[in-house]
Amino acid sequence: MPAVQETIEQVRRIDVDQYKYGFETVIEVDKAPKGLSEDTIRLISAKKDEPEWMLEWRLQAYRRWLTLEEPTWARVEYPKIDFQDIHYYAAPKNHAGPKSLDEVDPELLRVYEKLGIPLKEQEILAGVKKPGHETEADGVLSDLANDNVYKSGRVAVDAVFDSVSVVTTFKDELAKAGVIFCSISEAIREHPELVRKYLGSVVPITDNFYATLNSAVFTDGSFVFVPKGVRCPMELSTYFRINEKDTGQFERTLIIAEEGSYVSYLEGCTAPQRDENQLHAAVVELIALDDAEIKYSTVQNWYPGDAQGKGGIYNFVTKRGDCRGDRSKISWTQVETGSAITWKYPSCILRGDDSRGEFYSIAVSNGYQQVDSGTKMIHLGKNTSSRIISKGIAAGFSQNTYRGQVSAHRKATNARNFTNCDSLLIGNNCGAHTVPYMEAKNATAQFEHEATTSKISEDQKFYVMQRGIPEEEAVALIVNGFVKDVIQELPMEFAVEAQKLIGISLEGSVG
Amino acid sequence: MNMHATILRTPAEAALIEAFAERCSDLPGNESVVIRRDEAMEVLKQGLPTRRVESWHYTDMRRLLSSVPTYDAHGHAEVLAPVLDGSVVLPMLVGAASGAAPALEGVTFRPVRDKLADGSLAQALVPQGDDDAIGALNAAFVRDGWFVDIADGVMVERPIELQNVQGGGQAHVRLPVRVGNGVKATIVERQTGAGAGFVTSVANLVVGDDSDVLYVIVQEQPETATHLGQFNAWIGKNAKLTLFVMNAGGKLVRQEVRVVAKGEGSDFQLRGVNLLAGDTHTDLTMVLDHTVPHTGSRELVRNVVTGKARGVFQGRINVHQIAQKTDAKMACNTLLLSDDAEFSTKPELEIFADDVACGHGATVTEIDRNHLFYLMARGIDEKTARGLLVEAFVASVIEELEDETIVEALEARLHQWFAEHG
Repeated sequence: MPAVQETIEQVRRIDVDQYKYGFETVIEVDKAPKGLSEDTIRLISAKKDEPEWMLEWRLQAYRRWLTLEEPTWARVEYPKIDFQDIHYYAAPKNHAGPKSLDEVDPELLRVYEKLGIPLKEQEILAGVKKPGHETEADGVLSDLANDNVYKSGRVAVDAVFDSVSVVTTFKDELAKAGVIFCSISEAIREHPELVRKYLGSVVPITDNFYATLNSAVFTDGSFVFVPKGVRCPMELSTYFRINEKDTGQFERTLIIAEEGSYVSYLEGCTAPQRDENQLHAAVVELIALDDAEIKYSTVQNWYPGDAQGKGGIYNFVTKRGDCRGDRSKISWTQVETGSAITWKYPSCILRGDDSRGEFYSIAVSNGYQQVDSGTKMIHLGKNTSSRIISKGIAAGFSQNTYRGQVSAHRKATNARNFTNCDSLLIGNNCGAHTVPYMEAKNATAQFEHEATTSKISEDQKFYVMQRGIPEEEAVALIVNGFVKDVIQELPMEFAVEAQKLIGISLEGSVG
Repeated sequence: MNMHATILRTPAEAALIEAFAERCSDLPGNESVVIRRDEAMEVLKQGLPTRRVESWHYTDMRRLLSSVPTYDAHGHAEVLAPVLDGSVVLPMLVGAASGAAPALEGVTFRPVRDKLADGSLAQALVPQGDDDAIGALNAAFVRDGWFVDIADGVMVERPIELQNVQGGGQAHVRLPVRVGNGVKATIVERQTGAGAGFVTSVANLVVGDDSDVLYVIVQEQPETATHLGQFNAWIGKNAKLTLFVMNAGGKLVRQEVRVVAKGEGSDFQLRGVNLLAGDTHTDLTMVLDHTVPHTGSRELVRNVVTGKARGVFQGRINVHQIAQKTDAKMACNTLLLSDDAEFSTKPELEIFADDVACGHGATVTEIDRNHLFYLMARGIDEKTARGLLVEAFVASVIEELEDETIVEALEARLHQWFAEHG
């Protein structure tokens, strides 16, 4: 199979401590001084040109945050974070909200090209007509796009660089369908009524230590609004990049799917290779009204630290979806390969009757990575169902924990859950842990949970190697088979990427 | 136990501290035991565990333990007929070992108060970790119990029943059991009584190499009593321990099972049955450590919850780094029979060795409608059909015990419970 061969090649070229996206770009930036105080928050709010209510909201969160203690229940260990030693705002200079890609700093575009996201080509190829730049060639390309490119999957991208969104592609075309896709800062200015209504309605400012911090200092992120009955014409995507030193990235994503709408959203992230740890504390809120469906996919590839466990991103993320309407559906798919520490539990609140939540996850840890991830399925409405498929792969000296909660409220009659979490261990210096919580307060609830931990069996390996495949490739093949259930749920472009990532993360683990 | 030392004490906490001040001079023990008691009390003064303590997440003692009865020296209790016919009975009445040590070949019995007086039990009174509230409570207040010592190579002919009967006040017993190498024995730990008692019981079982032990815990406290039990076991080389736990009573119950598979080739089997009714709270918590290579374990827990009862099962299997070839499987199945019944379960795996086969499964559900239909289609009325299905669900756990007389005796108790609560 050519795809597999390609993966193998990729794996060979890149060693475990040679993180592909570890380059650093020198771009002139505008940074807030280090430290966190009400002044910092006022500065961020002012930089973003925010209305008064937004600033108040942030300050309220900050005051709350001061009263909170850092959570210690997760199975992760790290030195205490000095929250005063971080720049809470860093933006590329000369960033005055470009109208089109032509106005974006070419240096920035090159960064995204290097990351495999050629923002410009993509848009041109797809034939986006820019006012004043219309040429015949554009027209031809546009036709081409309609015939071919559409089917090959176009993706609208919001590119977030340190603290700001630098560009969002395909905006005009999306607007034709009534879909709003822009940076959250822009949404706060342009669509305050929507932001005010929904922001913090799933993850309130009092939620938890990191979410509250994020509410106080978030700098950018994406905003998506899909109106009633609209099926979003293309995949939406945000690409997060941390570039500056000593900064933290605090992004906020808000996705609203109105009655009967559908949207598929992808998220990718990378960061330069550094010896210091950097903090990333994001909040993602999803809201699905009656009959709406949101599919949220993540390929998380923050810098994981080197082979000795030095450096890497601390990834403390709060992601939650609210199936607010009847028959709504939210599905989370995640491939976690990066970050020194991952602390992340994308959850679903199944509030509407007949609503459905899904969680598919692959977490691969190597080196000294620590992963504590899982989900919560909170069944509140009648006839709600949820499914959890989690695959953890631990290698090297890493610790990989699945932590999940399934609960059925007293009134959640006929709640259904199926959970399957499997762990695979490669080498005997790593650890795999499963901590599921199941809480049934209703006799009609039906919960099933199963978990297994094993290593790749010698028989499986022998079978593959017998056919002339070297050991390392055999392991990659078996692992890909192990995670197939999850990969299947990813949009096509990401599935390929994810398969490659898994190969890379496992490099050097045999023996 | 609780990080916030400044919080106000609950009435139960205050009562415990007061009881200790009153009682400590009367409790048996030499100087080293007194030191351990004081240390345990210091731990308790930090407060009872709350849901913020992970291992007590579903059993918040500060909230659930509303009061503690005063120690009642004149409480009344009588020796009961044993669960298994022909057992050697070691009674503990209102917290004190009663009667002379019976004679049984190859087995030595001694009241625990003697072992407290000579200090030989002092070391065992140290709580295991900072979440060991039951260990600390028992260490502070323990008054008596039976010490059982089975010599190497003894096939104990008759079952041994450690019968703890409370009489409404406080009862704190300890049951140290040493099983030598190459022993075969059946031990029943019975927890029962009348009245709103407050009972703590800590059993420490050491199983020698090549031994085969069946340990049965039958907890049938009245629906007014608080029962805090702990069972600790260390299993030697090629030894087998089967632990059967039946919880069928009590207002607030927590039974902890802490087992260490410390000998290669050892095997641990847990079979648990929780029959929960009324307005009660029952927690079965297990921590199992596989510390050496080539050990196996199977845990099967079945719960029936009705009325307003709340049930908890927490099971954690720790596989240490050197414990390669561990084969561990855990399952917890629950039937919820009423709208107000609740069950929470947390089956954990902590694995540090790569060549292992570990798994767990957990289900919570109501009675399968197809099964019900199948029986009703055969002319059986709904109530009877339900009863049959529920009993069969639990009985299958009991039937896994090999000895027929034991299976029959336990099934009789099961039947009785269903007659009263079905």
